[in-house]
Amino acid sequence: MNFNSPEFLLFLLGVVAVNYFLPQRFRSIFLLIASAVFIGYYNFESLLTVLISSAFNFYISRKVSGNRLLYISGVILNSYAIIMFNYFFAAKHGFHFSYTVITFNINSFIIALGLSFYSLQNISYLTEVYFKRWQPESSIKNYVLYNTFFPRIMSGPVMTPGEFLLQIDRNIISSDKLISGFNRFLLGLLKKMVIADRLAPAVHSVFDFGDTYSGLTTLLGVYLFTIQLYFDFSGYTDMAIGIGRMLGYDLKENFNFPLRSSSVSEFWRRWHISLISWFTNYIYYPLVYKFRVYKKAAALFGILVTFLVSGIWHGIGYTFLLWAVCHIIYLSFELLTKNFRSRVSEKYNNLFFKLLFIFLVFNAVCFSNIFFRSQSLVRAFHIIKGVFNNFLPNGRIDLVAPLAIGGHQIDEFNFYISMLLMTMFLLFERRIMRFGSGRTLNAAYIIICFLLIFLFGIINSGERFIYMQF
Amino acid sequence: MLIFDQVAIMTIDKLQEVFRKVFDKNDLVISADTSAKDIKSWDSLTHLELIASVEETFNVKFSFSEVMQFNTVGDMIRTIEKNTGNK
Repeated sequence: MNFNSPEFLLFLLGVVAVNYFLPQRFRSIFLLIASAVFIGYYNFESLLTVLISSAFNFYISRKVSGNRLLYISGVILNSYAIIMFNYFFAAKHGFHFSYTVITFNINSFIIALGLSFYSLQNISYLTEVYFKRWQPESSIKNYVLYNTFFPRIMSGPVMTPGEFLLQIDRNIISSDKLISGFNRFLLGLLKKMVIADRLAPAVHSVFDFGDTYSGLTTLLGVYLFTIQLYFDFSGYTDMAIGIGRMLGYDLKENFNFPLRSSSVSEFWRRWHISLISWFTNYIYYPLVYKFRVYKKAAALFGILVTFLVSGIWHGIGYTFLLWAVCHIIYLSFELLTKNFRSRVSEKYNNLFFKLLFIFLVFNAVCFSNIFFRSQSLVRAFHIIKGVFNNFLPNGRIDLVAPLAIGGHQIDEFNFYISMLLMTMFLLFERRIMRFGSGRTLNAAYIIICFLLIFLFGIINSGERFIYMQF
Repeated sequence: MLIFDQVAIMTIDKLQEVFRKVFDKNDLVISADTSAKDIKSWDSLTHLELIASVEETFNVKFSFSEVMQFNTVGDMIRTIEKNTGNK
């Protein structure tokens, strides 16, 4: 039951309505039941895993304050859960897996929905309690809701206990929140169905078929993947934030126009913000603080460890490792040239150079994403070589045919529509976002969104989101 | 009060030298309200390098939670004064 599936929309309507009319004191238990239904509907293993994980962390948190052994055991067990989850995912997708005697008969795409996300929350919770910065939660119901809250379960945003737990017994649902939540949800639906899912076939064609196309076609496919990933994941986040708001909760923002970044460090302040702030607060800062006397060397070491862990968090395999290595190189380069670049950007502070840097950063991110998206290293290098092979196509059809696949024939017209919608959205993104965060019902915005979704949206049983696999 | 102000001014002057050295900018001027938003190169990658240089200059050691709560130069001055016993 993905956010863009018809059955979810019905489920959501019911949950929002009941939650709105319930007295405040019953809302958290109701949302807990709704979240359990949502996860259980996905698969029973996911529900069981999140309940066991939450109960385990809830009970050890009562004794963890100042108890180093218990704290380290808790962190190791939660980290182990993430690694096991990634191994299982890799195993299901062609890797040999031989480190377990347990076998599961799992038919669904995901074994334990959201495990990598809520395990990070469990680690941050144990850390806050261990260092006495947070009192252990007294209500198991609230703690289980912290991990299972259905708008966040699939792919975050990752939130610290202070950011979520305090909201549980204090949330107020105003008409403002209902309307702005609806506007935001609609924006996410539009991003997912009208842009991300329309780009998926072109990306699939370049990354998964292993054919050789013109260099320009391959390059376009590579660019389109980063844009697809952005619209898919930020669309999901818009929907999660919108649903949260309709239920009276403020979820953390995850994106801040990342494709407009003029440095990779800026990109990481604007892309998947909740995850990178988790890594910054719980890995990078503690590590660099410890070795701070070594100054730049400490920061470089911090970047190395943080991104290697981020690579493992995303998945087991050389492709994620090389994705991480790309960002380690980019960020290390930026750190070592920071003052020089700052002087250059002051000297050449004009639109041309700003656009040039945005383009360079976009290319750097797209390059790393070749590894992120490819099924194997061989395929990734095939694509990189492909970009430099016969760069110019033999005419228009040679350029767009592999990207404009529509079933068994070339659907050029629809491809151009996709490109037009994507370009318009990217150009007017800030303005569109203003409507998406609006606190009033704007008939024009709602009608245009629905029209675009019905005319151009990919309507099926609900395409899954890319980040659900992590 | 006058003594405190003088101490604060001396601290900020010394801090300014550290900032100029770390961010390699000789004309950088800071005030108690200066934050990472005002200095382009001051971000999570350089924050702890700056902290280490401040610790060296003032011969103090900040705790991790102090470091995490530095939002402005003013926060830094208050913690330095607390650690050096000037306040």
